[in-house]
Amino acid sequence: MSVNPSRQDARKPRPWWLGLGVLAMGALWLNGARSIASTTNYIGVGPAAIILAVGIGLTILGVILITQTMRGELVAAAEGEDEAPPSRSAFLLALAGVSIPLLTIRWLGFPLSAMLAFTLVTHAFGSRRTGLDLGVGAVLGSAAWFGFSRLGISLGPFLPLIG
Amino acid sequence: MDILNQLIGGFAVALQPMNLFWALIGCALGTAVGVLPGIGPALTIALLLPVTAQVAPASAFIMFAGILYGALYGGSTTSILLNTPGESGAVMTALEGNRMARNGRGAAALATAAIGSFVAGTIGTLALTFLAPAIAELAFVFGPEDYFALMVLSFTSVAVVMGRSMVRGFTALFFGLALGTIGIDTQTGQTRMVFGTLELLDGVSFTVVLVSLFAIGEALYVASRSGTVPAAINPLSGGSWMTRQDWARSWKPWLRGSVIGFPIGALPAGGTEIPTFLSYALERRLSKHPKEFGHGAIEGVAGPEAANNAAAAGILVPLLTLGLPSTATAAVLLAAFQNYGLQPGPMLFATNPDLLWGLIASLYIGNLILLVLNLPLVGIWVRLLLIPRHYIYGGIVVFALVGVWGLSTSWMDLLLMCGLGLIGYVARVYDFPIAPVLIGLILGPQAEIQLRRALAVSQGDWGVLVSTPIAATLLSIALLVLVVPPMLARLRSRPKAEPAISTG
Repeated sequence: MSVNPSRQDARKPRPWWLGLGVLAMGALWLNGARSIASTTNYIGVGPAAIILAVGIGLTILGVILITQTMRGELVAAAEGEDEAPPSRSAFLLALAGVSIPLLTIRWLGFPLSAMLAFTLVTHAFGSRRTGLDLGVGAVLGSAAWFGFSRLGISLGPFLPLIG
Repeated sequence: MDILNQLIGGFAVALQPMNLFWALIGCALGTAVGVLPGIGPALTIALLLPVTAQVAPASAFIMFAGILYGALYGGSTTSILLNTPGESGAVMTALEGNRMARNGRGAAALATAAIGSFVAGTIGTLALTFLAPAIAELAFVFGPEDYFALMVLSFTSVAVVMGRSMVRGFTALFFGLALGTIGIDTQTGQTRMVFGTLELLDGVSFTVVLVSLFAIGEALYVASRSGTVPAAINPLSGGSWMTRQDWARSWKPWLRGSVIGFPIGALPAGGTEIPTFLSYALERRLSKHPKEFGHGAIEGVAGPEAANNAAAAGILVPLLTLGLPSTATAAVLLAAFQNYGLQPGPMLFATNPDLLWGLIASLYIGNLILLVLNLPLVGIWVRLLLIPRHYIYGGIVVFALVGVWGLSTSWMDLLLMCGLGLIGYVARVYDFPIAPVLIGLILGPQAEIQLRRALAVSQGDWGVLVSTPIAATLLSIALLVLVVPPMLARLRSRPKAEPAISTG
């Protein structure tokens, strides 16, 4: 099946969804170009033209990527063969760390959200000293809040709950 | 000797105590960050972009220049001692330098890297000093069609050169171009691709894209693969300084590396990988000790490290003279200029000479600061590697949050950060290059403006795009860039490819 069978592991999942994603994005942009009232004035290139071009490009690339995947040319980047397999739980934990501010930043404010994000990420890396990590995260988040506020960068209220 | 006068004026700016202070901060920060694996100069500058809100432009760019050069110095330290190159330009240094360190010659490897970087950085900066104004003059004759052709060339070469496959390079480029179309069309005021969200009217912020793709994507990637054994530090044991023989074997590679690095770095999409690789290959061929290569040949550290730094000076040429970024770092610097409402290019030499010449002068000073910082203090920088990895990545995520949330305290930006971070992770896993995304995002809208301007002047005649010799030549080169590599690959693989291709 694959071009170079000795190099690739047959059990490796083929990322068909990757090409599909690019294809979907292309379709989205093509659709977007349609809905822009293209004032195709005398220059011949209105605001929709570039979107159309990008949409066509993405669609073609999506098709090529899917073809490559089907032929087994597109698999995960070559890593050290002896490396441990990727850990899904660590990935999800890190992702939770990155996305927790979406839930908390409006009512807990920046320093506490940063503390939670920091702690979740350190745990994704295998740290188990929760108390210490929370402490370091709180110090780091507060220091960033104060430091950058002094530089004139607003990171929102310190603790929105209190005001 | 107009240039000399301008340069002296530049030194007057760069030597002001406040600016010296920023240069020192930039060099120290750049080195510190360069030492930490996984964070390059592009990301450091991007995380610091918010300071442009408060710091004067000249000071900010002097600091950024320090970070740019400092990260290269720091990167070589990590490559040599840890065998984990922080950025692609340091891969070749890792090859020989780490061997040297294992043989107890770490100090000599670090020294030849540092002095070579200084020599090459100075030569590259000299070349930049005398070349940039001339190229900027030249750029005045560029019409919109020429700029459009130049950007097309930049797109094709970035997509082809970066990454291992053209399809992935172009996918990254088109992804960036697509992100660049979000927001209000500058020429007609129409909203485009905002999906009914008011917050997208201003477009997708460059900082958000960069920070998410690099920092968040990298943190997710490393977290998911952190089960691997952590790299161990090679002690600087047997830290013998460079011997007379080391000097004799180093100085020619330094000069050759500079000569290779600068011009390639100055090309659109030149980058730093190709010159370091070329320099390594050349030193290997010229060396009197070819058997030492692969086992710690000092030429293999001196040459690529010089090429790396000279190329870094080279990437400033198209950036400052034409406003054309050729690497991720250059794209971030361009974004920084735009934050100040400045557009790098020929006009900037005329309108903001203090800023530009101050920046160029600070490169000389930064190089010197780095030499002083690095030769005696390398032991301190290495201590940074003792910070546990989970704290480093936790810290990176916190600073990414500062960069994204501090932009406009917009919840939508945080959402974009998560989404683009996931895309960055996927790109890392499946080996899609990031730089074309950034260059598509930052140059795409400009290319569109130039195209429409050219067509407006010609009243819709597409022939205008090849009407000038410059535009026609640049577009032909762009076509060659696109067509030649696959042809070469096909020619090369034909004799042996037949049996390898099985039925799909």
